Amino acid sequence: MVAAKKKVVEIIHLAGKNDKYELLELESKQVLAAWGVPVNRTELARDLGEAIRIAREIHYPLAIKVASPDIPSKSEAKGVRVGISSELELRQAFGEIVNNVREYKPDADIIGVTVQEYLPPAREVIVGALQDPSFGATVRFSLAGFWADVFNDFSFRLAPLSVEDAREMIQEIKGYPVLEGIRGESPADVNALAGIIQKVGQLAHEFPEINKLDIDPIFTFEAGKGAIAADARIVLGRSK
Amino acid sequence: MMSSGLKVFFEPKSVVLIGASELKGAGAASATFFRSLASNISKFTKGKVYGVDLSGKLEGYMRKLTKVPMNCDLAVVLLPKDLLTKNLSSLLAKKTKALVLISDELAQKQREGLASLTKRGRLLLLGPKATMGIINTTNGLMATPVRGLTPKRGHIAVISQDGGLAAAMLDWARFHGVGVSKFACIGDGLGIGMVGMLRYLAQDKETKVVCVYLETAKEGRKLVGAISEAAKAKPVVVFKGGSEHEKIFDAALKQAGAFQARSIEEIFAVAEGLAKQPPMRGDRVAVITNIVGQAKLLVRSLAQEGLVLAEPSAETVKKISKKHPHVDISGFVDLGVEAKADLYKFVVGQVISDKAVDGMVVINAIKSTLLEPEDIQGIAEAAKKSKGKPVIDLTPGGEDNLHVREVLVGTELPVYNQPEKAARTMKLLSMRGKILNLPQK
Repeated sequence: MVAAKKKVVEIIHLAGKNDKYELLELESKQVLAAWGVPVNRTELARDLGEAIRIAREIHYPLAIKVASPDIPSKSEAKGVRVGISSELELRQAFGEIVNNVREYKPDADIIGVTVQEYLPPAREVIVGALQDPSFGATVRFSLAGFWADVFNDFSFRLAPLSVEDAREMIQEIKGYPVLEGIRGESPADVNALAGIIQKVGQLAHEFPEINKLDIDPIFTFEAGKGAIAADARIVLGRSK
Repeated sequence: MMSSGLKVFFEPKSVVLIGASELKGAGAASATFFRSLASNISKFTKGKVYGVDLSGKLEGYMRKLTKVPMNCDLAVVLLPKDLLTKNLSSLLAKKTKALVLISDELAQKQREGLASLTKRGRLLLLGPKATMGIINTTNGLMATPVRGLTPKRGHIAVISQDGGLAAAMLDWARFHGVGVSKFACIGDGLGIGMVGMLRYLAQDKETKVVCVYLETAKEGRKLVGAISEAAKAKPVVVFKGGSEHEKIFDAALKQAGAFQARSIEEIFAVAEGLAKQPPMRGDRVAVITNIVGQAKLLVRSLAQEGLVLAEPSAETVKKISKKHPHVDISGFVDLGVEAKADLYKFVVGQVISDKAVDGMVVINAIKSTLLEPEDIQGIAEAAKKSKGKPVIDLTPGGEDNLHVREVLVGTELPVYNQPEKAARTMKLLSMRGKILNLPQK
């Protein structure tokens, strides 16, 4: 745990030195990975050549996402492509998303593109943390997509919290049957999720400088098969 | 600050009242409330009471602060802003240990002065805006301007940030026949806030349940910590006003082991049950009734709360059927419209001893049956032998409920007028059992 803490301090410190308040997806994932939250393999490619080399390592299919401190919502800027299955596709997609982002925000500083391990379809959830001015570190949980955006179907807890609390939090949302499995689906790995929530709570509790943390989405596989963070965003406390 | 230090508020050996009993214009209301305060405190005999009436009208009251003795335990001040501004420093010069500032307005400079005094531990302050003051029913201390209301002595403590809500809570407590141990209006919490008061009441021996009205969650983390500590000692029922941080606040209260009431009335409905009955070890509730319809409504409400209708064991069924073949024991236990005290007593006794039963609601309709309110006394007697399991009474309706209430005054059997409230109370009793980690039977 001491090692994990050191590593997180290092990443945050490095980012903070450049006067950055919002970590890149890659940096946010490095924090999570150091803290023991599973993330999909994500590597930064500064140009197409690097992307191709990394892709050969990670293997197809894969996903690419633009890496820019000026683009908080990558999909809104059309800076994401998933399901890339060949080098030819990668070449096309790389140019496309960089162009899309340039068009979306001409002055955006584009560091490169992250090449990411593909995750098979799974139930998607969101785990977040926020430093509340009155209550301190809090965590929140919901299913991803319209469950969060339209129904506001979130559950909350103060951090730190136990794995038991986290499990209760998962069961508390209205959309819980989705995780239990509807229409003959098998149940999702709620234990893995509870573990992630507990860890995120501990992280927010021990690092008040992490003002906001969103893992959206987490791919949750069938019971026993784990859950993996596919995107993450950390905002440091000095932003306000 | 040690919370035991708050004792001086509730058990003062000497009290000074300061106000003005006759004022015109903007101060008129303040004068009326001061007269009410003077009348309320006149019944206090466990300590010396000094009064200062700056209007010079009230009999036995001094005209000037200069005559007030030094180092009194408690001062209660109810003055409009201009008079308070003029007199506060001469009052503070008397070095009173604790001060209840009922007055709601305070000059900024004096505010800062008071804040600094309390911070340095020189003064215990409640308020400003502690508009409904404090009450201790154990010693008859009514340091409150509340009009026309003396709470019954009992075991439920009431604390409120807001004065109007504080008075409304006392009013509901009276209406439910619920006795109060201590009462405090916190006001804007410049001195003693919710946190300090919760710590004190958590240790208070007269208090079995703490009821709280919260308007804001300033310093939410600390507040939740205090609630959580208090909830380890006794049930804490919270009714929340403001809607800021709503979902986080709700989650925090749940984590702290507090119960949230959904209305002011519900606070006292559930508090009565929590104060009078033991926690429930499990979630199987037996229902005994003399009418079917109300029992069905109750069973539905129990299910909505996630509780289960208890099924008495074959042995119990046999014992009851042998003596009273007409009693229907499939599902809830229907005694029939002709049931009187004897039958209730016998069946309540049998069913509550059953291992398959964790708690019980006894329904007794009056107007549609042969039962009389006096018969309920017998139920209260049988309920006393419940061996640590909670038993509550549901007399549905308005008038009938009031009659039964009168009969049950002084007993430990709580009475409800609607199935929803009875079910909610059983739910909280079962949650209390879980929080205390009682071994499930």
